[in-house]
Amino acid sequence: MTQVTLTVNGKPLSAEVEPRTHLADLLRETHNLTGTHIGCEHGVCGACTILIDGVPARSCITFAVACEQAEITTIEGLDEDEIGAELREAFQKEHGLQCGYCTPGMIVAARDLVLRLQAPSEKEIRTAMSGNLCRCTGYVGIIRAIQDVIAERRARGIDAIPDGGRKALGPAGSGHAAAAESAAPRKETAAAATSKTVAAEALEVDPDWKPQTSFRQSFTVSHSPAEVWAFFGRIADVIACLPGASLTSESEDGQVTGEMRVKAGPIAAAFQGVAQVTRDEASRSGRVIGTGKDTRSKSATRGAMEYRVKPAPDGGTDVEVDVGFTLTGMLAQFGRSGLVNDVANRLTSAFVQNLEARLDYAARGGEGEAPEPAVAAELNAGALLWSVIAGRLKRLFAKLFGRG
Amino acid sequence: MKPVNFDYARPLDVDGALALLADETALVKVVAGSQSLGPMLNLRLVQPDLLVDITGVEELRSFEESGDKLTLGACITHADIEDGRLPDVTHGALPSVASGIAYRAVRNRGTVGGSLTHADPSADWVSMLAALGATVTLRGPEGARHLPVEEYMLGALEADLRPGELLVSVTVPKLGSGASWGYYKSCRKTGEFAHAIGAMLIDPERGICRAVIGATETRPLVIADAKGLIGDGDPAAFDSKAVTAALTEAGMRDPIERQTHSVALRRAVEGARGR
Repeated sequence: MTQVTLTVNGKPLSAEVEPRTHLADLLRETHNLTGTHIGCEHGVCGACTILIDGVPARSCITFAVACEQAEITTIEGLDEDEIGAELREAFQKEHGLQCGYCTPGMIVAARDLVLRLQAPSEKEIRTAMSGNLCRCTGYVGIIRAIQDVIAERRARGIDAIPDGGRKALGPAGSGHAAAAESAAPRKETAAAATSKTVAAEALEVDPDWKPQTSFRQSFTVSHSPAEVWAFFGRIADVIACLPGASLTSESEDGQVTGEMRVKAGPIAAAFQGVAQVTRDEASRSGRVIGTGKDTRSKSATRGAMEYRVKPAPDGGTDVEVDVGFTLTGMLAQFGRSGLVNDVANRLTSAFVQNLEARLDYAARGGEGEAPEPAVAAELNAGALLWSVIAGRLKRLFAKLFGRG
Repeated sequence: MKPVNFDYARPLDVDGALALLADETALVKVVAGSQSLGPMLNLRLVQPDLLVDITGVEELRSFEESGDKLTLGACITHADIEDGRLPDVTHGALPSVASGIAYRAVRNRGTVGGSLTHADPSADWVSMLAALGATVTLRGPEGARHLPVEEYMLGALEADLRPGELLVSVTVPKLGSGASWGYYKSCRKTGEFAHAIGAMLIDPERGICRAVIGATETRPLVIADAKGLIGDGDPAAFDSKAVTAALTEAGMRDPIERQTHSVALRRAVEGARGR
């Protein structure tokens, strides 16, 4: 627990909070200031907008501890505020509210526009209010109310203050406090938790399963199809090429268990899973189907991979891989398919580098030092792919414009 | 929708922050305005042991103008730039881009350093600052490193931070007197992350003609010498074929994506010409 001291609506407020407590929760749960509403709780809907040091901010993604000594104004604190009163009247007159859920955030955001924008057009008001969502009455009345208040104030000779009166640099709410270090007894660290192994469950294959996301990757390696095909039969070697993957067991019928660690920036997961591997010699193609669970993020994945090994036109081997997967649980909330593709690209690129090194080693008859995987620990390999692309781009521009 | 429990520390200087980052036994995350990390914490996509709040470090909340450049501390906010609380050395480029980031309530806390380190390909700063030729300064146990903004981003959500390193500042070169810039982003909804970004800097005095295509799935595509791409003074000379070819080569497979990005760059070029 950490001690936090704020000024809320002009009165001092002191409380013991967990560092994870955001401002909206502190105000609502322990100080009964329930005028601040929580909608999406991840900074999108605007219902929780309050004033921090006089400027609007999202109280659901601002931690109370980060605002030590700051001045907070909630909708309750705007009772006596001149612009607040004018806006309330205008919202009433123009039917700017219906259920009222978004209204406290709307009023706080609108007050900021009235204060800062001298003579905004309707479009400018709509753009500036776009961070506050209303799901019932719509925006027409809200926009009209704001227009009215601005027009009346300017007519009374009250000019806008473009910077809202803020002079300090840095995030609103910061810069007032002394150093702090919460001395909460540390539980098991995340680093320790992700290294735990859980027993893999038996794999059940649902014949009707269809992946949510699928993509195709292809790459070429300089070794012969026979060598590559044989290599893909050695599961342990293949796993060693995959950054973040490790094998715990391998049975004769092609069932393997292991772990896959994936890292995308601050998001880190370790999937414990089981997979079934089948191979068809005649068509030189194989299939891997598996499931995995990340206990920390309470996420699960089910995936299938099919690969085909073919001679490349210019010698060497083309490998084509189709991957399909479905993600459920916490991690699935992060639904940006483009980012998943980038991670997959980086993974493939690292895999190919490692694969080439291993094939080279096998071609030398396995003599000398076994190659260390170029990217071993976990996927964190953005630079790899980029170096490949940068090389290709340079050649392209040389071709296009006759310069290097 | 509540984050996991984490410890919190607010050091008052960079050395204090670096000391906290050196703990390898724990998952330590740096936080500034918490406008990108906050949602990820609430969604429990990120589950740190310790949050190091760097907004208490005054050095990071300041700027320095010297000679031919402006250096912004990592915790300078988008609103600081939008409102002109620091000098503009970019003929309006930085304030204009700042005013279009997310929403005002987010801009009042969201920071330049946080945006670059979060490394979302669709964010504004990585593309515009790359076009302007900005660099980042990182401090860590092995001293300071300087990197061009576009190299600091390794890929989606991945910044080039070595263990224990912290982004302390961003340095923007002053534009020449005849310089012009353009910026265009395609969003379906105001304030959302962009689907395509084009950024352009034409600075004859310093011999720079640089184009950037951003909001790809990974780091932005920087075309350091874009003269051949945009023709000389003739708006019709924009070589969309070459741009599309470059995007294909960079791995953008969807033709609609390529077209959207090519158009974003063309509009940025038009913007630069119009200034």
